Formats: sequence, C-alpha cells, structure tokens
Amino acid sequence: MADQRTVRRTAGIVAGLLIALVFLLVIVPGALAIGLKLLGIIDASYARSALRLTVPIAFAGMGGIFAEKSGVINIGLEGLLIISAFSAIAVMWFIGGGGAGARIVALFGGVLASLVVTLLFAIICIEFKADQIVAGLAVWLIALGFAPFGSIVIWETVNSDSVGSFDPLAVPLLSEVPYVGEVLFTATPPVYLMLAAVPFSWYLLNRTAFGKHLQASGEDPKTLDTAGVSVRKVRYMGVLLSGLYCGIGGAGLALNAGQFVGGGETITSGRGWIGLTTYLIANYNPVGAFLASFGFAGLDALQLQIQRVPGVELSSTLIEIIPYAAVLVVLAFVGKTRMPESAGEHYESED
Amino acid sequence: MSDQRGVRAGNEGRESKYAVKMDGITKRFPGVVANDDVDFAVERGTVHALVGENGAGKTTLMNILYGLYEPTEGTVHVDGVPREFDSPRDAMDAGIGMIHQHFMLIEPMTVAENVVLGAEPTKLFGLLTDEDAAVEVTRDLAEKYGFDIDPTDRIRETSVGEQQRVEILKALYRGAETLILDEPTAVLTPQEVEGLYGMFDELLGEGKTIIFITHKLGEALRAADRISVLRDGELIATVRADETTREDLASMMVGRDVLFDVSSEAVERGGATLAVEDLVVDDDRGIRAVDGVSFSIEDGEVFGVAGVDGNGQAELVEALTGLRSATSGTITFDGEDVTDHSRRQRIADGMSYVAEDRQHRSLVMEYDLLRNGLLGCQRLPAFSNGPLVDWEATGQYVDDVLEQYDVRPPDRSALARSLSGGNQQKLVVGREFERDPSLVVAAQPTRGVDIGSIEFIHNRLLDLRAEGTAILLVSSKLEEVQRLSDRMAVMYDGRFMDVVDPDEVTEEEVGLLMAGQHPDGGAGDR
Amino acid sequence: MSGRDPGGLLDRLVDATVLERIVISIASLVFAIVVGGVIVTVSGTVATCREPAFVLASREFCYDPIELYRTLFDGAFGSLINLGLTLQETSILLFTGLSVAVAFRAGLFNIGTQGQMVLGALGSALTIGWVAPSLPENIAGTLVIVPLAVLVATVVGGLYGALPGVMKAYADAHEVITTIMLNFVAMGVAFYLVRNHVGDMTTDSVQTTPIPEFARLPPTIDGTRFSVLVLLFGLLAAVLIYLLYERTVVGYDLRTSGLAPEAADYGGVDAKRNIVGSMSLSGALGGIAGAMYVLMVHYRWETDMPALGFDGIAVSILAGNNPLGVIPAALLFGALKGGSLQIDFALGIPPELVEVLRGFIILFVAMPEFFRMIGSYAGYGTEGGETDG
Repeated sequence: MADQRTVRRTAGIVAGLLIALVFLLVIVPGALAIGLKLLGIIDASYARSALRLTVPIAFAGMGGIFAEKSGVINIGLEGLLIISAFSAIAVMWFIGGGGAGARIVALFGGVLASLVVTLLFAIICIEFKADQIVAGLAVWLIALGFAPFGSIVIWETVNSDSVGSFDPLAVPLLSEVPYVGEVLFTATPPVYLMLAAVPFSWYLLNRTAFGKHLQASGEDPKTLDTAGVSVRKVRYMGVLLSGLYCGIGGAGLALNAGQFVGGGETITSGRGWIGLTTYLIANYNPVGAFLASFGFAGLDALQLQIQRVPGVELSSTLIEIIPYAAVLVVLAFVGKTRMPESAGEHYESED
Repeated sequence: MSDQRGVRAGNEGRESKYAVKMDGITKRFPGVVANDDVDFAVERGTVHALVGENGAGKTTLMNILYGLYEPTEGTVHVDGVPREFDSPRDAMDAGIGMIHQHFMLIEPMTVAENVVLGAEPTKLFGLLTDEDAAVEVTRDLAEKYGFDIDPTDRIRETSVGEQQRVEILKALYRGAETLILDEPTAVLTPQEVEGLYGMFDELLGEGKTIIFITHKLGEALRAADRISVLRDGELIATVRADETTREDLASMMVGRDVLFDVSSEAVERGGATLAVEDLVVDDDRGIRAVDGVSFSIEDGEVFGVAGVDGNGQAELVEALTGLRSATSGTITFDGEDVTDHSRRQRIADGMSYVAEDRQHRSLVMEYDLLRNGLLGCQRLPAFSNGPLVDWEATGQYVDDVLEQYDVRPPDRSALARSLSGGNQQKLVVGREFERDPSLVVAAQPTRGVDIGSIEFIHNRLLDLRAEGTAILLVSSKLEEVQRLSDRMAVMYDGRFMDVVDPDEVTEEEVGLLMAGQHPDGGAGDR
Repeated sequence: MSGRDPGGLLDRLVDATVLERIVISIASLVFAIVVGGVIVTVSGTVATCREPAFVLASREFCYDPIELYRTLFDGAFGSLINLGLTLQETSILLFTGLSVAVAFRAGLFNIGTQGQMVLGALGSALTIGWVAPSLPENIAGTLVIVPLAVLVATVVGGLYGALPGVMKAYADAHEVITTIMLNFVAMGVAFYLVRNHVGDMTTDSVQTTPIPEFARLPPTIDGTRFSVLVLLFGLLAAVLIYLLYERTVVGYDLRTSGLAPEAADYGGVDAKRNIVGSMSLSGALGGIAGAMYVLMVHYRWETDMPALGFDGIAVSILAGNNPLGVIPAALLFGALKGGSLQIDFALGIPPELVEVLRGFIILFVAMPEFFRMIGSYAGYGTEGGETDG
C-alpha cells in the first residue's frame, strides 16, 4: 500500500519532469531541433554507460535507506564511496597484474575499507552517542582529505596510475536479445550486482523480519526493545549495510573507470550526495531510489554525449544541478518525505 | 466476584499457587533506592493491583519483573521457578507480558505487524515473513478474547482503546500468562474503563493473571482481588480488596491521613473576565474541533472543563490563549474583544497559560531555569529595558518562584531537562501565576506530577481564585475538575454537553456526559 | 552566577558545561593530532623518498610526525609573512564560523555556509565590476565601494540562507538536507553564470574580471594580503552576536524559536519567522565571508573557491557553537591552513593532511561521550552535562 503510493509518487515526479522537458522543448525556439538530435544519442551504448554511472548513486542511495530506516542518519555516504574507490584502486595497484581475479580482490578490498570506516562510524554513533550529522560530515571530510593524501603518498600525484578496469561480461543467450541484451546482459560485474541488489533490498526491507525490525528501530526503538529485539544490533546491521553498499558502489565506480581521481571532489564528484537525494525523492523505497539514480545517471551520461553533438549548446553545469534542485522541489512542494520518527536520535536501552 | 476468582485459581494443580513471586527485591539507581526489600506475590488467576504515588517504585518493580531492569538484590519466581531475566525477551519466554502506560506500538505499521513484532511468523525456511499468517493469528486471538479489532488497520488510524487492545494481543501472542498493565485507565472514559474490566474477566476466564498499576484507589478497589501498596520504594502492605477502605489505602500510600476535600470558600465575584460566544475552532487538519461553545468566567471563579482527551479541549484552550485562530465566534476579555489579538497581545493583556505539554510548549528543555522563567514574559516591561532583556529583574523573579514554589533544585542555572516532571510543572505554574494575571488558563496542570506537587498546585490555584483571578481549568482527571471548580462543563465532540454544579452531580452522570450521552437518556448500565 | 551578568564571560567560564566543552575541545585536538601523527608515520612507510626521515626496525619512514607538527607551527607563526597568511585565513574563518554558530546556537544546522559564501563572493565581485568604473579611483571610491560590496554580499547570502529557513519553517524540510543541496545548486549556478554570462570572457578559466586596485583592502603585513580591518570586523561581529544572543529580546526569541518552536509560539513569538531570521543571519555572515575573500584575498571570483564554508562548520563545532569560542577556533584552523603549505615545501608531506586533521577534530568533538567514558575510567566521573547548541 505504502509502496504503491511511493512508486506512484516517484512515477508522478518522473512524469512531471518529462512533461516539463517536453514543454521546454516546445517553447524554447530551436530547442525542438536540439531535442531531436539528442534523441539520436539514446541508443544501447548510451543506456549501457548510463547504467554504469548508476552504480555508485544507486548503491549509495539504497545503502543510505538501511542506515536511516534503522534510526542512524548516515550522511557520510559520499565519504564511504571515496574511501572504497580509493582503496579498490590501491589494492589493484599493489597486486599488480590485471586478471579478472585481481579485480574481484580489489572490489573486496574497497568493500572492506568501506566497512571498516562504517564500523567506526557506527561505534561512534551508537556507543559514543555522537551527533550523527556531525559524525557523518566528519567521515566525508576525512575521506575527502585522506584519499588525495593517500594518492600522493602512493603515486606522488592526486590521481592514481591507470590500473585496468572491469570488462563487460556477456550472459550467454540473454545477451543476444536485441537492445535489452546489449544493455542489461553485456555489463560489468558491479552493474550485475546492482541489478540484483534492487529487488534484494526491497525484499529485505519489506518482507523479512529483519526489515520490520529495521523500520521499528527507526520509528520507535523503545517498542522494539520491549518486544525483545536488540536495537543496538539492528542499528549496527543497518549502518553496516550502508557501508557494504557504498563499498560496492565506490569500488564499482573506480574499477569501471580503472583509475582513482583525487582532485577536487574526487572521482565520485558528489554521487554519494546524489544517492542521498534519490532515497529522499523516493521516500525510502529502494526501487524508487534506483529509478531516480538511473534517471540522474542518464542525465549525466547525456551531458557527456551532448558535447559530441555539433551545434548543441547545453550547459552541463545546469544539468549537473538537476538532482539537487529536484530533491529541493520534492521536499518543499511534493508531500512530505517522512523521515523515520527517531532517526538521528540516540537510543539508550534501559539497563 | 472475588470469591469466584478464588475458586478458579484454586483448581489448577501447578507447583505454586503464585503466578509471580518476588522476594526481597531491592533496586538501586545512582543516588536513589527505587525498591527496598520488596516481597510481592500474585496468586494465579487473580487481579492484583499495585498502588502508590508517582515515584513510589511501582513501575520499577514491574520493569524488573518484565526484564527491563535487573534487581540489585532479590529473586523473581515465576510459577514457583526462580528466574533471572536479562531482557524482556526472557520475561516473555517465562509468560510475562507488559502493557506500558505509553503504548509501545509502531504507528506506521499495521495491527498485525505490531502484534507479531519481534516474533514474526515466517515462510520459506525463515527467509521471508508470512504476512497472511500474522493477520490470521491476530484475528484468531482477537476473536478468542472477544476484541473487536481489524488486524490490517494501521495503528495511526486506530483509537486509544483499540491500541490498548492491540497491546494486550501483543502480550497474548507471546504466550503471556501474567499480564502487567501500567496505569491502563489513564486515557479511558469511565465507560471504556468498564469495558477494560470486562476484558479482565475474559482473560481470567482463560486462566490468565493480571497485575495492574494505578494510583487511583477507586479503581483498585473496584477491579482487584488484592491490593499491594508501595511507598518510597517499600511495600507497605498487601490487603484483600474486600477488606479495606479507600481511606486506609490512602493513608498507607501517603503515610499520613489525607483529606479528600479541599475546602474552597466562597469568594466575592466581580463581573465576567472572560466571555466566549459561539466559538468555532478547526484543528490542524481543518476538521471542526470546537463546534459552537459559549461560556463566561467571572473574577474569582474556577470554571472547569472535563472530558476525555481529544474532544476539542486542546483546540479550545489554544484558541483562548491565542495560539490558534478561531474560525468564528468572539472572545471578550476584560470587556475588550480580543478575538483577533495575537498571542503576544494576550500575554500583555494579562492572560496566563499553563500548557498541557510542558516539555514542548511551556518550557524549553535546553534552557536553564533562568531563561525558562523569561518565556512569555520577555516583552513585558518588568522583564526588559527596550530591546535588552533585564536579566537582573528576571533573575529576581525566577528566584522568588523557585523559593515560593519549592522547585528543586532551587538553582536557576540548572537545565529544565534535569528537573523532575513535578518540579518542571511547579516552575511553569509559578511563572504563570506570579505575574498578577487576570485570567489563568490551566490545561492538565497536574498531569505526570507527583501527589505532593498536585496538592501544592491545587492550593495555589485556589489562592489565586481567592485573590479574584478568573481561572479556566481543563483536565481529563474528573475528580480534579470536580473538586476545584465552581461550575463544570463536560466537553464531548467539540461541544459542551452540559454545564453542571460539581457538588450536585454524580460521577456516573458525568461519565455518561463524557461519553456523549445525557443521563436522562437512560443509557447507563450501572 | 551573579545577578547582573547571567551570560557574562567569566560566569560562563566557571559554568560546568562550558568548562566541559573547553576540555572536550582541547582533548579532541590532542586526539586528532595523535591520530594524524600515526597516519603520517604509517604513510611514511609506503611513500617513496630520497632519504628517510628515520629508520626503525630496518623499515624506512619518510615522514617524522614530530617534525611535521613543528613545521606546521613554524609555517603558521614562524615569520611575519607566515603570520599574515594565518591571520588572513583566520579572519575569513571568523565569519564562516560565526555563520554556522549563529544557526547552531538556535538549534539549526546550516551546512550551507559554503554556498552562501560562494554567492556572496560572486555578488560582491560583480557589484564592484559594475559600479567601479563610475567611481573615482581614490580613497573616496574605496569608502563607497567596499561597504557596498559587503552590503550586497550580506543581502545575497542572507537571501540564500533564508531559503532553507523558509523550507524548514513552512514545509518542514530538514535544513541539513536542504542546505547541502543548496550548496551544490549555488556552485553550479555561479559557475554557469560566470562561464556563460557575467565572467571574464577573455580567458578560458571560469572567473570574473579582477577588481580594481582601489577596491582591494590594503594589506597590513607586507608580502601578504592580510588586512587587519577584516580581522577587527570579524572580532566585532563575534562580540555583537554574543551580545545579541545573551542580552537582547530578539536574540532570545531567535534562539527559542530554533530550539523549541512550540515554546516560542507559546511565548508570543512567531517561531516560523524567527527560524527564517536565524537562517538569514547565518547566510548573511556566510555572504560577508565571501565578500572578504574577494576584497582581501583573491580580488576576483573564481570557480573552486576554497572550502572555507565547510571549515566554518569545524570552527563552530570546535567552539561549542559559542560566538566567542569561534575566535580561538578560527585562529587554530587558520594556523592549520597557514602551516599546510610549509609541510609540503619543507617535508614533502601532502597538505591534504590538514583536511584529514580537520575531519578528525570534528569527529572527536562530536562524541563527548567518548571523553566522558575515558574521564570516568580515569576516575574523574563527570555528571553527563548537556551539549549546548
């Protein structure tokens, strides 16, 4: 029921954006021609790259849901992406050699680094009652400083050496299906992981006892406690899940690219924050968060492609701020995204 | 009725006749002994009331039985077997269920989801929860005990009475044999209370045991077989309900004789201070909450409004104090039409207000007592010099209030958060009473306040009345309104059912009015 | 407490919670320094260097943590020029720190100071660009243009701060989320405007034309751009904001509205309007920081402004959100910034280390419970005081 409402809501928002876009194309002189040229860009290779760009956003978004539903706001998603992206590439570089096995090990390396940092974050929030927002910001700022610091230490510049990236892996038979096969079944391992994580997350949240406990822990921890379930354990699990997801997202991003870029906002360039917007837009529904991620990644891919289309001048900067503007609009105008009642509050068990 | 129950309890052949036996329980918190060597035993198949003042240690004792606290000393026996509970889960496994005063329900979830929370039926080898089974099992339980409730409703959409039933179902689902109810009647109408007693009978019929915590002696006498009295953490006595009196219980509870009648002497009255004409107020959702209410209050008069929470009292109070705008109608205060006056103007006009929700409304928990003493007064000439706060005058005022109202600690730099509920309320009452108001609006002024403070606040209210201040007293505690008011209105569904003389009316008549029926309609069943 | 001066500095200092804040802030600093030292030392085994700083158990360590902090201190205060650089950072951090503290004091978390600063800086740079040509290039021109630039930045920052305030008060949107998002929007919009419409089109970099000489604040220390005027202005602002909150009715209303909106309404105050007010004041201070950056440091708006707004969060948190505490906290972070160049030049340690330190300081301050636990293990059990803010 609530899920249908959320899906309808997300669909409504997407439809609204599309209508606005069509409207824009019609009223702005010359825009229609541009629009038609852009349509030409949207092919299988475009969809594939959009899907690849979805990986870090969707993982950050879905991971954030678990933490926040459990009552711990994890605003450090961006920091976790950075840490795992950096660690994955560093592991890859230390192993040397470029086999598929090395990439899997590097992926695990990234996930592990993210989990370690997340565990520290969880301990700080749950045991030491830290302000979750401040601690999350600290995670981001530390990662933002540490990754380029580490890059310089290892590679003597903020950008890593190129270490090789994941190759697309074709699923036999299915990849033969025109278009769909090319997009969904000729993808890199992180993309497959993401496609599996979406339904998994939904089920975990809505159809398992753990999911119910997670929600209860964020809404009313005391009730969960008196029902005989340890709020602490549930919250640790929720936060660690966000670390696991961000680990896959960040490592996937870096290993899809084959390099860590440490300048400015680093290779993640705010994708963790966009992940945060996606679940707020989708009102904590992992499927909705994924769809929103795909939408934003699609825009991102679009602005990369636009630069190749002659005669089209669209500001990539303006496209980049669409996710942020969208979440502001949603928060201000489209019904309230309801935060879990006790999110952000420390819970003290009575003994 | 008590005899019948005794028989029922006797015919079961378990090892112990006691469902629960607590021996020598002592619980110490830093600086406090909450329970001091308490022996407490409950016979199976009976209703046992636990009475005492706030802070007497009733809830602590029951939290120990429910595994929320570990006793510092002493042992707990359930069905004759000694037990050590590390968590509520252990207590549940031993057949103990607890229904807390503040319901422990997850609002956005359904009745069934709440009932099974923490012990969900699963399918697919435990991988997924079985939603249908949860609904089924909840429905079966509800039918067995004759509870009228839909398992698929969300808690948000259910009434307080229904929520209480969900709580009981929750405990039963977990296999509770002994149910602990903490102040179960606090939120119910007299008729709903009767319904609750009916539920007790159903539960006893299934062989359950009931412990209920209350500070209302009448309820204990009416519903329980045995009554235990706690005072200052010690168990004073356990008595049979049919062998004791209200007066005995009260003196055991307080440790001295208690006068149940506060004498309110006649006061010379002036003209009407407040006159309300056909007031209509909507709530936050735009639904009519106050539907055409008229009344007036004279100088030196206490006008009481009784009724079950949620019948428009909150909106009425907010409209009078300027926190909510009236949809229609007029409010006249000291001869002036103040219907359109802002809250700030009404404070300046001399209206004081003791709000129901002191933790959010009438205090700022993060502020110290000094800053809380300024709340609402910050623009009165006595408290400020133009744009600057006159901290010296404020400090003087706050110190006076702390002393006169015996607020502890009497330290103006203490945070409001660190005070007990009673002391917080005394600070609020003092702040509002001492600035010479011409009208005091007191909403639930003694909710969550210990007996000593209640007595104190009641006396100050009557002092104020004697000084000629008009007082509007809104409370869901019937005896409070009845005792203090000169005239009493009963509010139901946004209207005054009637305005009665509190000395003439019976509790039954008021109970019917609170449930929306006129006594002459003849619908009462007692 | 004395009756006369309930919020006075001396009284606050003996106030247990304030004392505890100070202890926690210093302890956090110490812990961050230790953690930073460990990170640097361990990194030194990975890094490649011509000659190791020291060798231990036949492992080569490229970085020496003691040398690091000595150099950091030297870089911050070792010479007049270094001191100038430090004070220049400090002056601007005063404003961004106050920006965050003003909101925090009223129970609102403004993470948007960075965006407010970026837009304030752009507003002042553009105003100068438009107005300067019609002004005389002398002291009279300076006296007109500098206040004007600051005023515009104040208004721009204030309006941009009001936006999340309005969203908080009237749509119940969490200010943490909205201000983060507004940072990105501000940076994107500013970038777009400067690149495509209002910037210096003669160059490839995204920047405005430099402001004329007479619009620049005169350097106080030769060889730096530090102007003591900005420092004094910042100190004045800190004192004024302190007095606003501690002494005035308006300040009391602002705080009450943010901390407990329902109680504010009860007290006859329009909580929603005051929430917008706090956020506007916070944004205005962020805007002023931006103007100071343009007038004193960079002499133009350029993309990728330093993260002084985020540093402001660190400053405010370290200061316990106390406007007067912001002063030493700003000096500390100013020194870290000032010294970071030196550790790069002299020791080859990446200056990003300072950002890591910043993060750890915030992290440690955020968990007072950690120190209370350590304190109680060590036998100094303190009653759990409440964090102020």
